[in-house]
Amino acid sequence: MKEFLKGNYKVETEIQESPDAEAAGATDEFERKALSRLGGSVCFVSKKGFVWTGEEERGESRA
Amino acid sequence: MSLGHRLARHIQNATFDRVTGEGVANAEVNRGLIEQSVLTLASCRLGEGDSAIVVGAGASLHRRGILERLAASKYRGTIVVADAVLGGCLRNGIVPHVVVSVDPHPTRIVRWFGDPSLTEARDDHFQRHTTQLGDEYFERQEFDPAIAENEMKANRELVRLVDEHGPAIKLAVATSAAPTAVERCRAAGMALFWWNPMYDDYDSPTSITRRLQRSNRLPCLNGGGNVGTAAWVIAQAVLEKRTIGLIGMDFSYPPGRPYWKTQYGPDLKQMFGDRFEEAFIHIENPHVGETWFTDPAYYWFRDVFFEMVRRAGCRTFNCTEGGILFGNGVEVASIEDFVGTLSK
Repeated sequence: MKEFLKGNYKVETEIQESPDAEAAGATDEFERKALSRLGGSVCFVSKKGFVWTGEEERGESRA
Repeated sequence: MSLGHRLARHIQNATFDRVTGEGVANAEVNRGLIEQSVLTLASCRLGEGDSAIVVGAGASLHRRGILERLAASKYRGTIVVADAVLGGCLRNGIVPHVVVSVDPHPTRIVRWFGDPSLTEARDDHFQRHTTQLGDEYFERQEFDPAIAENEMKANRELVRLVDEHGPAIKLAVATSAAPTAVERCRAAGMALFWWNPMYDDYDSPTSITRRLQRSNRLPCLNGGGNVGTAAWVIAQAVLEKRTIGLIGMDFSYPPGRPYWKTQYGPDLKQMFGDRFEEAFIHIENPHVGETWFTDPAYYWFRDVFFEMVRRAGCRTFNCTEGGILFGNGVEVASIEDFVGTLSK
């Protein structure tokens, strides 16, 4: 939350993360790092076509 | 949200972290071998008609005798298979038109093609043989009974079968593929057709995919997380097959299989201790009346497949008789109905 509160003024009230949110963030980070040994054998790229043949060709991707 | 579902959200990034470095490094090693693109497969004669059967390596193949039934069906269309199931196909008299290989792992993938050095090592250098078999990956999670029962015997038979049929098989091989596997396939006489895995958004100025494509000019394929899905992508987007049957595409484990005998079971146990069972997700398959279970990676494969099938210009029938891939654009049929009627 703190990173979104930027400006040329000072906020008098101190912004505090809720303990639940901080704990959830830490758990999320642990789980993300723990997965470094898991995963598939080839990547998937969301919202892209099946085939991309490069930028020199028009109609370059096959949806 | 369960632990398994939470973990599944991270598998896309975990896959990128896991395979990109080694895959791009392998592309450099493999560069000198590139002669033809996977797109040229579209002009090859690969079976009859505009249907294809895509074969993954799931347990349902053996539980339901699907390969034996496919062999008995006399299917005349195109057969595209994941590398891990090549041995099962050949043992059942099915010589696939196209085998797909993409995983960069330096020692495991070559085993799907029969590893001649494994046999030699056992005969001549016992110590080395012991080291190679020390990888319990195959014994732990292999669904193929032939491999699970006797790795060395199965390997010797696979070497012979791949050597015999290699010249009739086309390998759709990613530049990320393990050089050991590539060399084995070349030695067996397979023709190689190359593609780049799509690693990231090629519209990004810092894209690894874009840089790789510029360097070797090969087409980039959206692989869908696993080699089975990559085989389906090749069947429908490269070969332009309009009706596709899937077998062995379970993305899950059958009821009763121990958690430790799954691909990621030991890793999950190490990461989450006693909580590791929470990482598995159970899904009822109403078509077979069974509840299968899946891990976060396989669950992500399923989500990705559903996303891809919506955009594909083909009908996809799951003939696997098990697993968790049904609905959301994936129709269900028996292999006999697919071959006899639906593929016509």
